[in-house]
Amino acid sequence: MITREPEYFPPPAGLLGRMGRWAMLSCRETGRATLLLLKALVCLRHIFGRRARRETVVDMYAYGIRSLGVITIVAVFTGMVLALNTGIALRDFNQEANVGTAVMVSMLREMGPFMTGLILAACVGSAMAAQLGTMTVSEEVAALEIMSIDPVRFLVMPRLAAMAVMTPLLSFYTCIMGVMGGGVVANLLLSVSWPNYMDNALRFAKNKDLFVGMLKAVVFGILITTVACHEGFSASKGAVGVGLATRKAVIVSFLLILFFGLLITGLFYY
Amino acid sequence: MIRFENVSKALGGRMVLDGVDFTIERGETFVIVGTSGAGKSVTLKHMVRLMTPDEGHVHVGDETVSDAAGHRLERLRERFGYLFQGGALLAWLSVLENVALPLREKTDLGESEIVRRAEDVLRRVGLERDGHKRPSEISGGMQKRAGLARAIVRQPEIVLYDEPTSGLDPVTSRTIDDLIENLRRDLGVTGVVVTHDLHSALAIGSRIAMLHGGKIVELAAPDRFIRSERPEVRAFLDSQYITRRGAWERSLSS
Repeated sequence: MITREPEYFPPPAGLLGRMGRWAMLSCRETGRATLLLLKALVCLRHIFGRRARRETVVDMYAYGIRSLGVITIVAVFTGMVLALNTGIALRDFNQEANVGTAVMVSMLREMGPFMTGLILAACVGSAMAAQLGTMTVSEEVAALEIMSIDPVRFLVMPRLAAMAVMTPLLSFYTCIMGVMGGGVVANLLLSVSWPNYMDNALRFAKNKDLFVGMLKAVVFGILITTVACHEGFSASKGAVGVGLATRKAVIVSFLLILFFGLLITGLFYY
Repeated sequence: MIRFENVSKALGGRMVLDGVDFTIERGETFVIVGTSGAGKSVTLKHMVRLMTPDEGHVHVGDETVSDAAGHRLERLRERFGYLFQGGALLAWLSVLENVALPLREKTDLGESEIVRRAEDVLRRVGLERDGHKRPSEISGGMQKRAGLARAIVRQPEIVLYDEPTSGLDPVTSRTIDDLIENLRRDLGVTGVVVTHDLHSALAIGSRIAMLHGGKIVELAAPDRFIRSERPEVRAFLDSQYITRRGAWERSLSS
């Protein structure tokens, strides 16, 4: 059951008591979020149903296409900053012609999925947590359960599918925009010609970099959705509770993106 | 039909239900009244296992709700319709889509039959012209009627009403009361109504139970309920200007 009974805890005794409670509640919440994810993955077998298909396409548009504006701006500026910083450093060794490689590899491996993940956590994850939180406190989720409609299948599964598809696509788009932004800086400020920059960028980029970047993006998309849905379903105590759930969803998503980004990089490159 | 067997429930260290026992018969409208925080909604939520008792059992027919899970709980819940306080309509669906939702998700009916049935129940609650509107575009009373339409569209045996008339004007409250009474009379639906509104309770209730301090302090038919000597009941009746010799007694006897 997604709908939970209200919980009350007596005030903990001392610092140790508070730490113990925090640790226990964190473990419990992690377990619940993991179970939610597993259940949503099992529900993916219903993805080709008429309603689920339509909901997923609508969500893909809402999460993906409507995030393009902010992603474009952030990606171009990220590429520019990367190119400028590495270009200035490389110029000391007369190696500024290699700035394309630095930008491309950084964007593919790390910055593309990372920036996309952060933007989606802030824009989409928060909206998702707020929507599900509002539905929870206004008893809409309980109403679904009473109608024997599984909220995980009805609400979480289409969102998970949409994010798992759109995050890598957006990440790839971020990489392209970042490399383009880096190219503008390389051309205008570092005197590296466009053909030189692109040749350098493409020559040293490996398929593995692209694969790892896309894998990270898929993982980030799944994490953002799971955290947002879990926090939304955990919301209580009206508007204040929805606000707290939204805030927590964004913070936890940011931390998980950092942790899993490091973990995947370590697994493939260490 | 629904039987509470020594049900106890504590929330936040406070005993909300303390060994509650009662039985609701098939085809009756059972009204639960009480002050705020008396445990009325908690009682209702136990019937569909949105809450689980700390002690005791809740039975529906031959099934025990309080330990049901998975498909058994799903089948049990399909016997119920539930009208939530705020209607609990999904904001991104139109009123018609909200009403059609249980049919779309839980039956194999064709689209034209689904729409026909949804329109039928919308007509029954007087919303036949508002099916295309979003919940945010209709009033609170209309949202409750739409919620009621959704609750009954699958023709459940039992309908639970959580504060069906709270926050509504007297005319709309009367309309909702009539709908509840018509469902019982025409379709034999067993109703459980949680309310503060004693006027409504006396008008639609087959029996009225009063919850106070976690216990049922009075359980009687409306005509006996207003003659109760229990101080808690008298205080509750007095607070709504209902006396033993008041308008209610006259209207009930006539």
